[in-house]
Amino acid sequence: MSEPHVYDMIVVGGGPGGYTAALYAARAGLDTLVLEKLSAGGQMALTEQIDNYPGFEEGVDGFTLAERMQTQAERFGAKTEYAQVDRMDLTAVPKVLETSEGTFYARTVAVATGANPRELGLPGEAALTGRGVAYCAACDGMRYKGKTVVVVGGGNSAAADAMLLSRVAKEVILVHRRDTLRATKIYHDPLMQAENIEFRWNSVVAELLQDGKLTGVKLRDVNTGEETTIPCDGVFISVGRKPATDLVEGQLTLDRSGYIVADETTRTNIPGVYAVGDVRTKPLRQVVTAVADGATAVHMAEEYLAGGE
Amino acid sequence: MAALNINQEQFREMIQGDKPVLVDFWAPWCGYCRRIAPAYEKIAEEYGDRLAVVKLNIDEAEQVTDEEGVEVIPTLILYKNGKALDSVVNPGSKAAIDQFIREALEK
Repeated sequence: MSEPHVYDMIVVGGGPGGYTAALYAARAGLDTLVLEKLSAGGQMALTEQIDNYPGFEEGVDGFTLAERMQTQAERFGAKTEYAQVDRMDLTAVPKVLETSEGTFYARTVAVATGANPRELGLPGEAALTGRGVAYCAACDGMRYKGKTVVVVGGGNSAAADAMLLSRVAKEVILVHRRDTLRATKIYHDPLMQAENIEFRWNSVVAELLQDGKLTGVKLRDVNTGEETTIPCDGVFISVGRKPATDLVEGQLTLDRSGYIVADETTRTNIPGVYAVGDVRTKPLRQVVTAVADGATAVHMAEEYLAGGE
Repeated sequence: MAALNINQEQFREMIQGDKPVLVDFWAPWCGYCRRIAPAYEKIAEEYGDRLAVVKLNIDEAEQVTDEEGVEVIPTLILYKNGKALDSVVNPGSKAAIDQFIREALEK
């Protein structure tokens, strides 16, 4: 049997952190592969306008930015495989990654799997996604022009979603399980002043009503237990994010919310394995902090490959 | 081979054949559609000899989109001999498209 090819670095996940790691690795002369299950960009790919990534004074669309990051990394020799990673052995030598497109081997691994929107966990939620249930107002909001939508959540992203939808939809109903918003103060006044936003405090969604498509939601008051039905065309779920760490559970140390424990060096508890971007424990999850992680991970990987660390 | 853009007339003709046809119902304004595009191109390369892998812009094919009951995009439908074998909405990975094609062809 011929010796399997061993990459210097395999990056799992092709978001901004992943492709920055690939760019730095390829430029450092490392033999580099990115494993991406769908397309470059991760969460960023569904962001229509990014205004806080420096250098684009008019803003930039997330999908385009992602494609450019991919092209840039590939220009220096990084490769991309559209593969779903099923299993990893991160302590093996070399490290083993079993995927839908075969098994790959690497000396170092950058885990840049990101985070996904958290679900409510209600029956029918997955089947109704795209049929009334949505997680991204900027992506799907335009479909609800002139209609009635419910937004679930009380943080910054729920507040931003409600504001955006209030400009498109006929009526927005914001459902939050507490009696006040967790969102930053700058959101409060515009939300309260918007004429077509109604608030349902101390309430949770108990049930999604449907006839193949979403037709409404049943709300439950967390104090009284009283239930009310609200007919609506869409429900936007904005209750935070969940790190994509199922794949590394049991190998890498995770914090209580499931994020990979790593400091600014991006080093994890396993030598030669780095946590890049939203998947890492950190105070601010943004494109700019993800790309910084990508660069740092390669710096640490180079030291590790040289026999240091 | 790249995924071919087709129009309604080509759609009606192509799906009648016994070579299976995979159709991506999409639109230029749809973010989720753009996300599956690179994987879909890869599918076109890999399955090119067994399937016709095509794309139909729903904005230019309203009649067919209605007839086929496509309400959300991206929707992939696999046709053979004029019949829809199966469909999938917004697949989350290239692997999910692979699996959809394999299972649909076995039907």
